[in-house]
Amino acid sequence: MWKKKMTPSQKRQAIWGWAFITPTMLGLIILNFYPAINTVYQSFCKTGDFGKGNIFVGFKNYSSVFAAAETWQSLWNTVKYMLVEVPLGIVIALILAVLLQKKLAGKTLFRTLYFLPMVCAPAAVAMVWKWLYNQQFGLINNTFHTNVAWISNPNIAWISVGIIGVWSIIGYNMVLFIAGLQEIPKDYYEAAEIDGASGLRQFFSITVPLLSPTTFFIVQTRIIGALTVFDLMFMVMDKTNQALNKTQSIVYLFYTYAFTNSNRGYGATLVVILVVFIMIVTFFLQKLEKKIVFYN
Amino acid sequence: MKKKVLSLLMCSVLAAGIVGCGSGDGASTTGGGTQTSSDGSKSYSTDKITINIWDSNQQAGIQEIADDWTKQSGVAVTIEVIDWDNYWTLLEAGAAGGDMPDVFWMHSNTVQMYMENGILLDLTDYIAADSAIEKDNYYEGIWDLYNSDGKQYALPKDHDTIALLYNKALFEQYGVDTPTDDWTWENMYDAAKAITEASNGEIYGLALNTSNNQDGWYNLVYDYGAQVITDDHKGTTIGSAEGKAAMEMVRKLLTVGAPQSVVAETGTDSLFQSGQVAMITQGSWMINSFYTAEHHDDYAWAMLPYADTNNNGSCDSGERFSCYNGLGWAANANVKDPQACYDLISYFCSKEGQIKQAQLGVTMGGMKGISADFAGAFEGMDVSAFTRAEEEGELYFRPYTRKTTVWEDALQQAGGFLDAWQNPNDPALMETACDNAQKIIEDAIAAE
Repeated sequence: MWKKKMTPSQKRQAIWGWAFITPTMLGLIILNFYPAINTVYQSFCKTGDFGKGNIFVGFKNYSSVFAAAETWQSLWNTVKYMLVEVPLGIVIALILAVLLQKKLAGKTLFRTLYFLPMVCAPAAVAMVWKWLYNQQFGLINNTFHTNVAWISNPNIAWISVGIIGVWSIIGYNMVLFIAGLQEIPKDYYEAAEIDGASGLRQFFSITVPLLSPTTFFIVQTRIIGALTVFDLMFMVMDKTNQALNKTQSIVYLFYTYAFTNSNRGYGATLVVILVVFIMIVTFFLQKLEKKIVFYN
Repeated sequence: MKKKVLSLLMCSVLAAGIVGCGSGDGASTTGGGTQTSSDGSKSYSTDKITINIWDSNQQAGIQEIADDWTKQSGVAVTIEVIDWDNYWTLLEAGAAGGDMPDVFWMHSNTVQMYMENGILLDLTDYIAADSAIEKDNYYEGIWDLYNSDGKQYALPKDHDTIALLYNKALFEQYGVDTPTDDWTWENMYDAAKAITEASNGEIYGLALNTSNNQDGWYNLVYDYGAQVITDDHKGTTIGSAEGKAAMEMVRKLLTVGAPQSVVAETGTDSLFQSGQVAMITQGSWMINSFYTAEHHDDYAWAMLPYADTNNNGSCDSGERFSCYNGLGWAANANVKDPQACYDLISYFCSKEGQIKQAQLGVTMGGMKGISADFAGAFEGMDVSAFTRAEEEGELYFRPYTRKTTVWEDALQQAGGFLDAWQNPNDPALMETACDNAQKIIEDAIAAE
């Protein structure tokens, strides 16, 4: 396009085009691209204090990150969190979306209520849950007269944290599902009804397949979201919590190294590895998309 | 149909505004009057100084002292409180990005790094020209801490010691004798055991988290003759026989104390204030929080117990230690008006400012000889245990190296002492933890 001589009006259009995308581009370059490249660079450095005096050390950070058992444990913890949050968050949201799609008094109110957790500050959500889970004074233990260490028992803490994630995300998934449901033509259901299909049969034979593009979109974005989880663990669990090692996510580990211990190079290495991991997962998801997603 | 989704989203966004506002917990307060009566002899190029601190208990008192200075200088002072963990993250980011507060607190954990990198304003020449600040008047360990290569980067704000806090009502309820100054750690164990058992585990005799280091288990390590960090800041003796003996005593205490899962979730201070725990150890900087607590009438302080290592039944030299530390008032090296910042710091650390700080009960002084003013600040609560700790016992400076946080955090977590804290009934775990701790500290120092 540049090779050909542009007419004045084309030129004007091109200039305006650039003018319109410049703010976004600037934001992306300054806030996303530059830090991302810098992070990759730092992962090859032994970083100095206050961002001064970085020494290039090649793959030294990578070899120590790969050799550390806590790296793999944290990665596994992150995957475990994902395995709780993504399936539960989707199944519950789908059921709610279908129910709230029906004629129901106060439908809008319910929708708003379910969406509310999504608009709360994550730190505030985590603080509330922290006290709900508290072993001594928590509402859950007091209501059911149990004495469970919800967030201190290494065997269940990861589930407890996952449940907070599910609770927070249901509303968001639900809204996306509702939008997807509204795309499905009513004729299918009418035809199915005439053929005598039960509600359940309709759900599995019409709703689920026709919703698969929406479902896939949610699965993909939520997997990425779950793999980068940080705030829940950070807010809910104290540093001296005995379940922390079995619960902390890889981003939490990054925070510990980069900000608490001021070892930016090591921290940068951790996030670079996480990014590569997410890229691999996304690659396989894209392959899967062609097989299982049904586009109308 | 699409419209409906949109309106739903809009509704939610509106609600978000409400919820979002409610959940913000900004902990900043602006200073009092912004008088501009510049009757003072000096004129400054700035009319506003911002201070960052991490302890909200001290905010009101510090603001009051700062307001006194404002009356003389005409420069308004704003104090912002940021909690301990975020304080250092923000300060470091600010130092790297060039956006720091004017005046702020420094701590032994990190000050070396800040001094070496020229982040802090060099106060040496200002001190030399200032008649209000005389090195000999301050605690030497604190003064020297903030000195690097002969340059002074901060002035001693305060010093602190550690004491034992107990709940009189709980001791009375279970018929156990209250702590005295003659207590050894074994006596503390017996009392805690009696309370825990008499209450069938409803109440814990004591609570001690792995993170209670300066105000907790560090003190036993020194009582038993070991050192968390040796005097040259290049090593540790925590894995020695003495260190292991000390941590064995800690382990014994833990068997009759609150389990780790409880203290990690609720915190020893909250457990104590809710009447679930009879004894905790605490630093003098926390007095105000207990003095103003709901059941403060039940609370009393005693000196930290000692370790009778020679078994003669009395407390001899080297058997009772209390950790001490002191914060420093420092300023940003790139501040617009260094003289104004120094003058504010100088006022905080002058005799006038220090006495006021003690009388208001903010903290004990960084200046020597004003402990009596501090003890008098808490009417109805005897806090002399903190000053007797330095008169009758011995003090050691809070262990630090160049990057203290690295090993200090590692010691509190799995792989460090947390393993032993989880299972206090297994002595072998505590012994292994001591060996691990030795290695953690040595490795961390080697990597500095």
